[in-house]
Amino acid sequence: MLPTGIHFESYAAETRVLKTRRSQVWLAILVAALLVAPFFAGAYLTGIASEMFITLMAVYGLYITVGMAGQINIAQSAFVGVGAFAAAKLSGYGVPVFLVIPLAAFCTGCVSVLFALPASRVKGLYLALTTLAAQAMFPIVIYALPPGWLGGLAGMPVEPLTVFGLDLGSPARLYYFTLAIVAVLTVSVFRIQHSRFGRAMIAVRDNDVAAEVMGIPVFKVKVMSFFVGSLFAGIAGACMAYVLQFVTASSFTLFASVWYLGMLIVGGLHSPLGAILGVLFITIVQESLHKVANTLMQLGAGGGGTLFALTSIILGGCILIALIFEPRGLAHRWAVLRKAFQIWPFPRS
Amino acid sequence: MGLSLTNVDVVYAGVIQVLRSVSIEVPDGSMVVLLGSNGAGKTTTLKAISGLLKAELGEVTAGQVLLDGKDIRNADAATVFRQGVVQVLEGRKVLEHLTVEQNLMVGAHLRADRGAVKADLDRVFGYFPRLPDLLHRTAGYLSGGEMQMLLVSRALMARPRILVLDEPSMGLAPILVEQLFETIGRIRREEGLTILMVEQNARAAVRQCDYGYIMEAGRIVLHGTREQLENNQDVKEFYLGFSGSEGRERFRNIKHYRRRKRWLG
Repeated sequence: MLPTGIHFESYAAETRVLKTRRSQVWLAILVAALLVAPFFAGAYLTGIASEMFITLMAVYGLYITVGMAGQINIAQSAFVGVGAFAAAKLSGYGVPVFLVIPLAAFCTGCVSVLFALPASRVKGLYLALTTLAAQAMFPIVIYALPPGWLGGLAGMPVEPLTVFGLDLGSPARLYYFTLAIVAVLTVSVFRIQHSRFGRAMIAVRDNDVAAEVMGIPVFKVKVMSFFVGSLFAGIAGACMAYVLQFVTASSFTLFASVWYLGMLIVGGLHSPLGAILGVLFITIVQESLHKVANTLMQLGAGGGGTLFALTSIILGGCILIALIFEPRGLAHRWAVLRKAFQIWPFPRS
Repeated sequence: MGLSLTNVDVVYAGVIQVLRSVSIEVPDGSMVVLLGSNGAGKTTTLKAISGLLKAELGEVTAGQVLLDGKDIRNADAATVFRQGVVQVLEGRKVLEHLTVEQNLMVGAHLRADRGAVKADLDRVFGYFPRLPDLLHRTAGYLSGGEMQMLLVSRALMARPRILVLDEPSMGLAPILVEQLFETIGRIRREEGLTILMVEQNARAAVRQCDYGYIMEAGRIVLHGTREQLENNQDVKEFYLGFSGSEGRERFRNIKHYRRRKRWLG
């Protein structure tokens, strides 16, 4: 809802993501800031930012499956892994990066459909269990295959990232590379939300019987939501493979899947903004804790090591607090704040 | 042509028989209402038509469900929908996180003709002039009456041939019920729509219908045209809630009367 005084005369204006001039200006400022950031931030922060962008890609995918279609998925990390291994294998054959990423995404999508077909027939906890099976099977399959195929226990090295002969090995270049991809994905995820397919997914989430009597093919929409969500995971996996230059099954754990889900829930399930805010929030808290712990250790004061060890516990506490005070996620809090500023100085509820 | 059920039996989970030999005729362009007490099998009858039984492990085990002469018995919901039978579910099943407009667009999900969809929006707003003001409101926050308007409109957006309404008056104030039924009557006259409606609010429903069926314990126990129903002493007594000029019957008398009527079980 918008404050009084702002209204639209066409449907196109209404469905636009950036409804007002002011929000367009803010977005331009944000993009400019992101573009110049590597010149001011050090290599460490730039690296963290690239990592954050990759996480965001995976969480976007989760937003489509869980947030929009309401299909709980705790195997996102395994799907990221599939993307990473596919990218590693393809880059090993000398396939150029602009083919590797879509191909890896497509592979991941196809693998996810294998699990989505049975999973979409069940609901709730049973669905969660089915996806858990996907997560559990992932490392087992990688380890069981002959080492020559996907590296087995040892993992696989990945060719360094080069685009048209230009080496993208430095943190700043990787930052721009991931930023470009995450920008494309951000636009797509907002577009999907306002598309016919997005509407169908939300209808299925809200009430699948009602969706069915309105002619929405519920089963197909559920499977498609897994497929599209995994495309995003596959892209995240491919980027991760390039950034880390090494993939091993042990980096794609259930723990990571739960973290992705946690980020989405803290940020807010019902808006892509939730994915962004959730990833940002968790990353900032995590990095600040590491920073404080590091400083403590360098100063020789006690507690640094303990703080490192406690990171997960403190993060868990932060998530708990966020959920107690804002169960609808940070995105909702953001929307309320924004509205308050828009109608300032008039009273607000 | 139109819709017809012949001797339909429905069994849930293989053991619970809910409908026993139910036969209903809904000719093209007519409005038929299905009355009956709670648990009589009205909603099950609708589900047998719209293909929603499967989700509840129900099945049509005998009889025929014919749509324009074609058997759609145990067809799935999507197939029935594509044949032009659109059901409005019981209990205000709006898509609560979508706006009113998006809800309406969900109704037109399978339609590719964008221009006609837009024209249909206007047509629907003609029937429910309150809706355009609510377009950008989240559907979950609407009032009960508004939700019901939205649901009927959403069904109309699918351009149905046969509209199946399950208790559209549930939980609405009497004045709203009157308005809603009047609008439904108007839609039917202007669109030439065939309507099959289940109702508890018998008096308002009977006033709009052409033909009515009364169900009791999974059977059709009585049926007739509007005039026949309005003048039938039993119907008046039990469903229309008045008994002519001498005012309400005493409960004791009704109980005895009811006992004499074997069909009421």
